[in-house]
Amino acid sequence: MANDEERARDIAAAAGLSRLTDEHLAQLAKGVASIRELAAKLPKDLHWSEETAQVFRLPRPRK
Amino acid sequence: MTDLAYLGIAEAADLIRARKLSPVEYARALLDRIERLDPRYHAFIRLTPDLALEAARQAEGEIAAGNWRGPLHGIPFALKDIIDVAGLPTTAHSKVLIDNVAGKDAPVAARLKQAGGVLMGKLATHEFAIGGPSFDLPWPPAVNPWRESGFPGGSSSGSGVALAAGMVPAAIGTDTGGSVRNPASMCGITGMKPTYGLVSRRGVLPLSTSLDHVGPMTRSVRDNALLLQLIAGHDPEDPGSAEGEVPDYAADLDKGVRGLTIGLVRHFYTEDMQADPEQARAIEAAAEVLRGLGAEVREIHLAPLQDYATCTRIIIRCEAFAVHRRWLAERPGDYGELARQRILDGAAVSAADYIDALRLRARLTRRTLEAFRGIDAALTVSNMDPPCRIDDAAACARAYPRQARQPFNVTGQPAMAMPAGFTTDGLPLSLQLVGHPWQEAMIYRIGGAYEQTTRWIDRRPPGL
Repeated sequence: MANDEERARDIAAAAGLSRLTDEHLAQLAKGVASIRELAAKLPKDLHWSEETAQVFRLPRPRK
Repeated sequence: MTDLAYLGIAEAADLIRARKLSPVEYARALLDRIERLDPRYHAFIRLTPDLALEAARQAEGEIAAGNWRGPLHGIPFALKDIIDVAGLPTTAHSKVLIDNVAGKDAPVAARLKQAGGVLMGKLATHEFAIGGPSFDLPWPPAVNPWRESGFPGGSSSGSGVALAAGMVPAAIGTDTGGSVRNPASMCGITGMKPTYGLVSRRGVLPLSTSLDHVGPMTRSVRDNALLLQLIAGHDPEDPGSAEGEVPDYAADLDKGVRGLTIGLVRHFYTEDMQADPEQARAIEAAAEVLRGLGAEVREIHLAPLQDYATCTRIIIRCEAFAVHRRWLAERPGDYGELARQRILDGAAVSAADYIDALRLRARLTRRTLEAFRGIDAALTVSNMDPPCRIDDAAACARAYPRQARQPFNVTGQPAMAMPAGFTTDGLPLSLQLVGHPWQEAMIYRIGGAYEQTTRWIDRRPPGL
């Protein structure tokens, strides 16, 4: 938990969230733990070839 | 008065066109009803009676002159308050945007106005369409009329409540992880999340741009098809908007289901999660009704609900944080606790995990669409539970993830929640119909046949 709080402070600083109160930082620390659990559930065999449709795409000129 | 309150779009349109119902009298009757009931239900953040009566008078004059625009002409509607209307604040139910006056109409609002609709006001939402129910915001949360202090679901909570309470016959909501279908299920009405890209999101405050959908909410399936017809179509200025023809969504409403094959996704509510027994029985009973009408209903298997939930939660948290970072940096104290908590989570998502969630989305979509081969549509649960009390924070928190709607935000398929009966205590139960991409008409066909057979829509909340 102490590590999550430290991590929350680091994340807040990196993201420019300088006005978060201790209460907000405690919320973010909970988020750090919850996102870590969530990310652990991602499949481990995902490959870059499973590319998403959200790639940069230049539109062709319309005729 | 009661008859006007629960008049559907299609019925009202017939009366208005035949000049048996005055749009001005209709709007006045509903405005009176809203003023009487809304102090109890809080569906509206902002009522716009002057604008409504002006639009109603204009409609009445045009129709009298023989210029009927179509089925929404002179019909009251309302918008979730994350949708821009020129000259009105778009607050997202938040102190953060309390003075955020929109410069122009979102295309979805413009289309409804162009169709002659009468805007009655802006509707309550969970804060920024993510945090709710909350009691620490500038406006109270909407309350479900089906039970004492009832939780109406969210995030399009005001839309669901306004329809259930007979305040408007048409409303627009948005759905990123189920936010049209959840209040539809809780409030005993019908809500469609159309195919991703069918309805423009421009001018709609984003929650998670790759998962956001705008959808119609009504009391009946036919009305829902009419409303979708008016808002569907390509918008070249929405990067997610798809090109293509817009079909006639009501064309197959009366064709019935004989000869159709419907996939039943039973594992969502019996294995992945255990639905409330009355809710689970309602889905099985709906399958029997459809079999009785001549459809083949057979079980199909998709990925476990938890896989879709992991994917959705990572994407929503990450994209929502990107939208809110500046406001969270400048005025974090202006957020309600729930929305701030959920959005702040996104700061902790790594870029690599976000990309992996997008890859998982592609994988889940491919596998889901493969499972839909050979069926015309699927039937499953929407909510696992009937509505709890809104003041029971633990019950609301428990209900929040107990749903089967996120899979179809992941895949972008159209999905509609509609009434499927009532608990022994008289609370709404619901079902969800899911179609192939761009096949909303098939969902309406199946939903229409089920609705005509069961007539659950005829029941009203107690005392209304």
